[in-house]
Amino acid sequence: MAVSTTDETSAGLTAPSGTAISLRGLSKHFGEVRAVDDVDLDIADGEFFSMLGPSGSGKTTVLRLVAGFEQATSGTIELAGEDVTSRAPFDRDVNTVFQDYALFPHMSVLDNVAYGLRVRGVKKSVRRRQAEEALGTVQLAHLADRSPGQLSGGQRQRVALARSIVVQPKVLLLDEPLGALDLKLREQMQVELKQLQRNLGITFVFVTHDQEEALTLSDRVAVFSEGKIVQLGTPQEIYETPTSEYVASFVGTSNIFDSATSQRLLGRDGTHALRPEKISISASGTSTRSGGAGVVRAEGVISESIYLGTGHRIHVLLDDGTRLVVLEQSTGAQAQREQRGEKVVASWSLDDLVPLT
Amino acid sequence: MSTDTSRAAVPSRTAARRASSLLTSKPWLRLTLLLTAPLTWLVLVYVVALAALLVTALWSVDSFTGEITRSLTFDNIKEIATESLYRTVTLRTIGVAAAVTIIDIAIALPIAFYMAKIASRRMQRVLVIAVLTPLWASYLVKAFAWRSVLSDDGIFEWASSKIGMGTPGYGITAVIITQAYIWLPYVILPIFAGLERVPNSLLDASGDLGASAWQTLRTVVFPLLKPAIIAGSIFSFSLTLGDYITVNIVGGANQMLGNLVYTNVGAANNLPLAAAVALIPIVIMIGYLTAVRRTGALENL
Repeated sequence: MAVSTTDETSAGLTAPSGTAISLRGLSKHFGEVRAVDDVDLDIADGEFFSMLGPSGSGKTTVLRLVAGFEQATSGTIELAGEDVTSRAPFDRDVNTVFQDYALFPHMSVLDNVAYGLRVRGVKKSVRRRQAEEALGTVQLAHLADRSPGQLSGGQRQRVALARSIVVQPKVLLLDEPLGALDLKLREQMQVELKQLQRNLGITFVFVTHDQEEALTLSDRVAVFSEGKIVQLGTPQEIYETPTSEYVASFVGTSNIFDSATSQRLLGRDGTHALRPEKISISASGTSTRSGGAGVVRAEGVISESIYLGTGHRIHVLLDDGTRLVVLEQSTGAQAQREQRGEKVVASWSLDDLVPLT
Repeated sequence: MSTDTSRAAVPSRTAARRASSLLTSKPWLRLTLLLTAPLTWLVLVYVVALAALLVTALWSVDSFTGEITRSLTFDNIKEIATESLYRTVTLRTIGVAAAVTIIDIAIALPIAFYMAKIASRRMQRVLVIAVLTPLWASYLVKAFAWRSVLSDDGIFEWASSKIGMGTPGYGITAVIITQAYIWLPYVILPIFAGLERVPNSLLDASGDLGASAWQTLRTVVFPLLKPAIIAGSIFSFSLTLGDYITVNIVGGANQMLGNLVYTNVGAANNLPLAAAVALIPIVIMIGYLTAVRRTGALENL
């Protein structure tokens, strides 16, 4: 396993030492439905790459095409520079962690993990040792003799991971691997996945519909819609500068100003997005912030205030009829202040506006 | 009708509702009502009939008058255990049943695999109907159809003569072919159902981990399918074991256990001996079921 571990401290894109996966003009049609529609994509060696989108957006189909479970209608798939478009799954140096884990119910945990070695003809003693090591990596060495049916969801997830990494693939494909776990476990597994990926240094391609998961784990994110990639970038780029209304509202929450509203409120042309946490509100009449250049102020009434624990989500109905969502972090003192019907002034900086195409 | 209340009133307590509420609170009453009829049926039809068979086997026939002597003797059991005719016919019957079972499994596996894993929903439905349709035709008609197919100037002779072969004629081979045809649906259906229960992701996972199609079949599909295959084999094996019609129609001069029962009841007028012979397939099936019980096959029937 040749791994170049470039010590990267920034959260941005790690320096690619090569291309792990390269998709060119990839399409998959199911009858009339274009599940994947002309996708071009390069994923670098050692990258944690997420494909994000709602169900039916084509992200899972791309994964299945890369794994070889589906045959592409057109286009090419290259793994490490080699064209594998028409190869069978067992001829591709990628492994998949399935959404339902797909553990073999008639084998023990150890036999499940050793399966990939067994079909490669690895000697029994050797594969036993390697499988035990892989189980150790996911902290399940003590459950080697159990059957998958006796494990909890989180444990099965780890066994599925161990089974995939034991054969040392260059690329690991993960199909919504955390989807079936409860929130607490999911957060814990997110951390473990990230650490595992860093330690192994292999490329992870992670399919999820959970935007938070995609943002926290990934080096880069591709947002899918209707079989196409609508935006590709680092989590910051995706979140801070969405290029379309679709991305702005699918990834996190956004206030979208259509062109008429933009013209009226901001004096600008085109559609704009504004993140709720970029807006601050203050009681009408009090002027907490000087209305300097580049700051927009608009008066309105609070129509709803929802307590979130970490803060409030406040819906403001501006006097011109525009609805705003504002996210206000709790700082203690002001927690009680916002009430329905209260007149407020919402203000935000023009710099925080993201123009959409 | 008063509609002035905003909430629907609790329904009035009719007799039916009272009875239903009584059943809800008295589980033993529910159980008694549900089980009386089927249990009576089971005891009368199966247990009593089987016991009657066993007792009859211990009776004998007065060779002079032809009357049944109702005193218990093990003569019939001794006769079928020692007489070489019964051993030969028993072994032949087991051989035919085993051959039919193996042939049916070999044919059913690819068909069931195609139905469960490859065919579209629509095609799958068409195939299930196609597999079930022959069951509507009479058993006799199907056996006679094969008699015609396998005859000296039948379609089998006509087709196979082109590749230098001929019809096997009437005999054990013809019995095996005909029985394999007749019982095939009973083997396809449990294997199809078993395959449907194997998630596709397991097959994907196996290929993903580097297993070839054959390795996947051998290490994942077969072990998971074994109970379903055995379930199918119980049908084909036991149904062949009891057959006596097919062998009369296409079997030539050969006899199977069923024929011995038939001739002893009819021509030989020896009901006790017929009962004793009938015990042989029952014992074989009890042995077979006991052997496969451990595999979980009985949950797949």
